[in-house]
Amino acid sequence: MSLRRRFQFRGINAAQKRFIAMTVIPLVLYMAFWTLFPLVWGFALAFFRYSARRAGGPFLGLGGDNPFVGLAHFRAMLDFSPDAPLNVRTFHIGVKITLLFAALVVPLNLSITLPLAVLIESVHRRMRPIFRTAFFLPVLAPSVGVAIMWGYIYHPQRGLLNAILGKIMGHMVVINWLGDPRLKVWGIPVALFALIIAYLWQDMGYNLVIFIAALQSIPDYLKDAARIDGVNSWQMFTKITLPLLMPTIQLTAILTMISAFQVFDLVQVMTNGGPKYQTQVLLLHIYNYAFRFQRMGWAAAVSVVLFLMTLTISLIQSRFLRAQWEY
Amino acid sequence: MTVQSIRYRRIMYRWFRPAYIILVPLSLIAFLPFIWMILGAFKTGAEIRQIPPTFFPKHFTLDNFRTVLHDPNLPLLLFYRNSAIIAISNVIQVLFTSSLFGYIFAKFRFKGGNILFWFILATMMIPSQLTMIPGYLILARLHLINNLLGLIIPSAIDPFGIFLFRQFAYSIPTDLLDAARVDGAGEFQIYRRIVLPQMGPALATFGLLTFMFNWNAYLWPLIVLTEQKVRTLTIILTWYSTRMGNKYHLTMAAAVLVIMPVLILFMFVQRWIVEGITMTGLKT
Repeated sequence: MSLRRRFQFRGINAAQKRFIAMTVIPLVLYMAFWTLFPLVWGFALAFFRYSARRAGGPFLGLGGDNPFVGLAHFRAMLDFSPDAPLNVRTFHIGVKITLLFAALVVPLNLSITLPLAVLIESVHRRMRPIFRTAFFLPVLAPSVGVAIMWGYIYHPQRGLLNAILGKIMGHMVVINWLGDPRLKVWGIPVALFALIIAYLWQDMGYNLVIFIAALQSIPDYLKDAARIDGVNSWQMFTKITLPLLMPTIQLTAILTMISAFQVFDLVQVMTNGGPKYQTQVLLLHIYNYAFRFQRMGWAAAVSVVLFLMTLTISLIQSRFLRAQWEY
Repeated sequence: MTVQSIRYRRIMYRWFRPAYIILVPLSLIAFLPFIWMILGAFKTGAEIRQIPPTFFPKHFTLDNFRTVLHDPNLPLLLFYRNSAIIAISNVIQVLFTSSLFGYIFAKFRFKGGNILFWFILATMMIPSQLTMIPGYLILARLHLINNLLGLIIPSAIDPFGIFLFRQFAYSIPTDLLDAARVDGAGEFQIYRRIVLPQMGPALATFGLLTFMFNWNAYLWPLIVLTEQKVRTLTIILTWYSTRMGNKYHLTMAAAVLVIMPVLILFMFVQRWIVEGITMTGLKT
């Protein structure tokens, strides 16, 4: 007892101090160099016309051949005239497509995974892992592999989808799902829908297992009490399960949306933004301008915009969803 | 009603629920892309070109795998090695830093400790695309482009890991640590001999998740690794498929060789991956 008190009174001793200094100082230096420094540099780049190929000024290659342009990139983004430069026009398309992609993916994902989780939970305990695996397996696969698989399914001549449609219709179907810019449904490019289906297929498993875990954490006595009161299974779902799942739904909605904003792998491999920029999401735009066209200043400015978009919408979303369930 | 029929009814209820009418076809559809890929890998080139395409191969052939494995441009073992080096190094260093700093932030009060912890947490909110370009420029200046180290050195710290292990370290009784101090154990020894063994389950689940994310990563390797000999499996797969164009039998054979072995391994440890995801809500 007296020993414990001694330790409490002494607080941190010399050996502990040394231990902390030896571990935390490297951590601080590491974080400063690999996290803080790139962050500041990234914001700074947005105000320069920058290419890694030009030597530029003495400090980080800023200045000189990579001149400071102030807010020029951001001002250019506001040029909505039809004769705006190509990077500005494709940026506008990118914002629209990214928002559209997220706006379609989030509700579709949640409205499939939540009922699916309830269905899987309703079957016998021993059967659950089989179904869960069926829907979770794509999560474990690399998204590049997923993109290649789906590219083969959508192929106009060799693909499974057209073959199945051909069987149903009784004649040959040759639809270029990923490559025909004229194909649109409600003004939304079909190629984008095709990407969304592949994306949902790969991404569903995440929310599914989160919902299954949330369903399992609902205490049985609540359900039993409701059952005694003569509640049917639909009422059970809407009055008991759904309200209790609301915090989980809110969290998954935000997470799903943030990752939908960052979609890259599937798009780059399956369509590379085509046809005619119809599926060019913002991250692909950033990648192309930074690493293929060497316009890193512009790409950094677009990254800042994408960051602000993500931030704003997740703030709005968390507000909005909270208003619904905290009564 | 006989006992027999009650038993039957119970068995029927156990194995046949209305939910199956929806679940069975849906899960078959979910498997379909994998099946289509695997079947494609066994078709001959002539059959792949056939319109409309067949579903089951008319005659199974292993030639596609032979062609892919003998392609001198595609030394798969090398790419497996590259992917493994990156993924395993990152798992080891991330587990080490996460458990160490999680423990330190949980059990030591020191000046600036809280501020530092919250700063690390805040960096989780920084989306990767914001630091992607300067990250590349730093690596270029350090001559780490086209070097596997370029994918290892910048990923030593995972803020989420530190957060997770801090929660975990709180449950280790401080008395236990003090007892070890009285017995003359050094601070690092305490971490190594007492704290680390207590964190076993968290190390396993978080390690698996980290491995999976690194193994499947695409964008960052795509930027850093542009030379053939340092590429990872994911990068090589797209490179190969664009080169093969319409020769889907070869692309699918390569895809099967790249995806399936590790996918099957992941399937066996799926329980822990699921546990990790539900525990953390973590996403790629």
